[in-house]
Amino acid sequence: MRAGFARFARNRLALFGAVVLLLVLVLVVSAPLAYPNNPFQLVGKPLQPPGGAFLLGTDTLGRDVAAGIAYGSRTSMLIGLSATLAAIGIGILVGGIAGYYRGRVELVLMRVTEFFQTIPAFVLAILIVAVLSPSVPSEIIAIAAVSWPGIARLVRGEFVALGGREFVLACAGLGASDLRIIFRHLLPNCLPPIIAVGSLLIGTAILIEAGLAFLGLGDPNVMSWGLIISAGRAVLRQAWWIATFPGIAILLTVLGVNLVGDGLGEVLNPRLRNR
Amino acid sequence: MIDRLHSSTSISRRTALALPLGLAGLSAAPRQAAAEPEPVRGGTMVMIVNPEPSTLAHYAVSAGNIPMIATQVYEGLLTYDWDQKPQPNLAKSWEVSPDGKTITFKLQTGVTFHNGAPFTSADVQYSFMEVLKKVHPTAPVVLAELIAVDTPDAETAVFRLANPAPYMMKAMAARDLPIVCKSVFEGTDPLSNPTANKPIGTGPFKFVSWERGQSLRLDRNEKYWKPGLPYLNRIVARFIPDAGTRSAAMETGEAHFAGYSAVNYADVARMKQNPILDTTTKGYEMTPALSVLELNSHHPHLDKKEVRQAIAYAIDRTFIRDNVMFGYGEPATGPLSRKFVGLYTDQVRRYDVPNRLEIANKLLDDSGLPRGADGSRFELHLEVNSFGEQWLRQAEYLKQALAQIGITVILRSEDTATWLRRAYTDYDYDISEPFLSQGIDPVVGLNRQYLSSQIRKGVTFVNNSFYANPKIDRLLGEGRTEIDPAKRTEIYHKVQQILTEDSPLIWLVDVQYVSIFNRKLHNHTTGPLGTYQAFETAWLEK
Repeated sequence: MRAGFARFARNRLALFGAVVLLLVLVLVVSAPLAYPNNPFQLVGKPLQPPGGAFLLGTDTLGRDVAAGIAYGSRTSMLIGLSATLAAIGIGILVGGIAGYYRGRVELVLMRVTEFFQTIPAFVLAILIVAVLSPSVPSEIIAIAAVSWPGIARLVRGEFVALGGREFVLACAGLGASDLRIIFRHLLPNCLPPIIAVGSLLIGTAILIEAGLAFLGLGDPNVMSWGLIISAGRAVLRQAWWIATFPGIAILLTVLGVNLVGDGLGEVLNPRLRNR
Repeated sequence: MIDRLHSSTSISRRTALALPLGLAGLSAAPRQAAAEPEPVRGGTMVMIVNPEPSTLAHYAVSAGNIPMIATQVYEGLLTYDWDQKPQPNLAKSWEVSPDGKTITFKLQTGVTFHNGAPFTSADVQYSFMEVLKKVHPTAPVVLAELIAVDTPDAETAVFRLANPAPYMMKAMAARDLPIVCKSVFEGTDPLSNPTANKPIGTGPFKFVSWERGQSLRLDRNEKYWKPGLPYLNRIVARFIPDAGTRSAAMETGEAHFAGYSAVNYADVARMKQNPILDTTTKGYEMTPALSVLELNSHHPHLDKKEVRQAIAYAIDRTFIRDNVMFGYGEPATGPLSRKFVGLYTDQVRRYDVPNRLEIANKLLDDSGLPRGADGSRFELHLEVNSFGEQWLRQAEYLKQALAQIGITVILRSEDTATWLRRAYTDYDYDISEPFLSQGIDPVVGLNRQYLSSQIRKGVTFVNNSFYANPKIDRLLGEGRTEIDPAKRTEIYHKVQQILTEDSPLIWLVDVQYVSIFNRKLHNHTTGPLGTYQAFETAWLEK
């Protein structure tokens, strides 16, 4: 574990990513302390430039952009993490069953997976949110629904690779149940790649969420970065700060997530260990 | 209506009208006294029409993007001056009988359609009785009292009405009631007539070609009956779906005119800085519209007048005008637009008083709706208008505004079909925020919102607040047939007072459109119908 951390820390970029993520987490936790008001509250004159009474200025209605970014980080993280967890859950289930049982079950499940992969992810997410009507749960469902196929294929591949190994055959020979083999022996062995891929998925999920909110498909009652950007887009040339700061927030967060994900991948992948 | 754009130039209304508008903007101080420049012949004017119409069947479809093109080709019996008084067009004179039930139009002579057919009273008869009354979506309301059009001779058309219909005389322009060519339509289904998308009219410009997704070309009608007109050789309507590109087309001088807010309000401020461009809010005097909140009175709290009034008090309409509508429009005071000059009154219960929040909170306290521990009295859902993001901004503002009086608003933004179904078919809504065009007369705009007979499940933009007041039903019925202007004014003043007191809807902003034009283009906005009338006297500086 300690060796793993040292290896992670040796990767400067991953460390940078971790620091950025830590800052975002601080924002997530401290948002209600720093800005006790609801971020939709009209706190001042509209379109005030940054650096005045409000650190990052105000938007077209006179809302504090900084407060919006602070609360938006909660939405991004909530949706990013929940959607990723849900996607990993579905992916493990589908991939695991397909990879363990093979045969017809695999055929059917993998065709379904491929079917999802052939539809452009963002378009499908838009469709799902539009059908379910925009809200945080429907965004999570939509993002999870477009993110699981990658995980499913990964898990299936690992299961297939591990399935014929001696320790698995031994378990089966000793009469272990399918569930025991899957959860006690196979899954722990393919956890490292799942963690690595899953962490990258968080970044994608945050981007999709911002995209949905930008298109007006976010939950209108919840502050989010995409929502601020879409509100600021119309006045981009008069008030650059409204769309710019949440854009930077998205950029840094997704970058942080990806760098940490790459770092984790390196640490957890034995083949890359000695690079 | 105060013209916000020209108010800084100290030009009186009359001067601004006498001068071509493009010049009026330019001539702020030193050149004000300069003589009106001589119109120049020729040139191609490019106008931006957005979105692209799906059809040009102006006589059968009432979409707002069609008349910008169609009124160049089709003409109406009358046109209107800046005071919205009827002026001759295809009819050179008219006479309304004292009982208001007979209107006799004397028609222009020597007018021909673009296909060469002469224009006669038979075309008028056919247009009104066989086309407009039968296939037009809104004309049947305006023409409800019209029983027959008699044609004693080729130059006379006599309209016979069952009851007086004073509003009819405001709808005789090409925008509302265009005249089509009988010989082209006779014996065909108007909707599938070959000229639906290749219109043939009597107007100053002839239809030439339409390249879908790109542009539409209209050429000068050499045989136009008004001597010496039009000045322009050609009008090209361009269709540009992207808002940024539309603005760029104006800024580079590629296009000369963008009416009907074809350029995003957010970009207008920047256009004003551009030396080759100018803007005007004129030409929309006969296009009144209000943004409103519809309240579902089937909701147990919204059933109470006091609660509805409290909501009306809670909203700062000036804030919405300035920050959501980009400064265009006027805060609404009641159910009628200010553009109904004479009929409009602000002598109603005013919701924009300084201590409005205090009053609102007291009304709610007195209605037995105390604030809970979290400061909230009750919850309402607001259906977000799906026609553009400014409505989401408005919804966000309303949520904050109503929080001040302890009403928690939950926004629901769905696609257009779902929103309209919720609001007008399933009635599964508390508050909805539509934008309502008010038509040429209160008969169109008020009746459909407030008559109890207009509670029509499944019909969009009618009475979905379940407002039913026998007094209003009676007054709106009287207003429909009253021909004495003074009495009519009295009726509608009373209507506005009762409605504002009952507050079945919340009226937000009296909407104002804006036109952007290149300063080289002159005489483009010559009457209250603005973009919805022909550019026959418009001309381009070389």
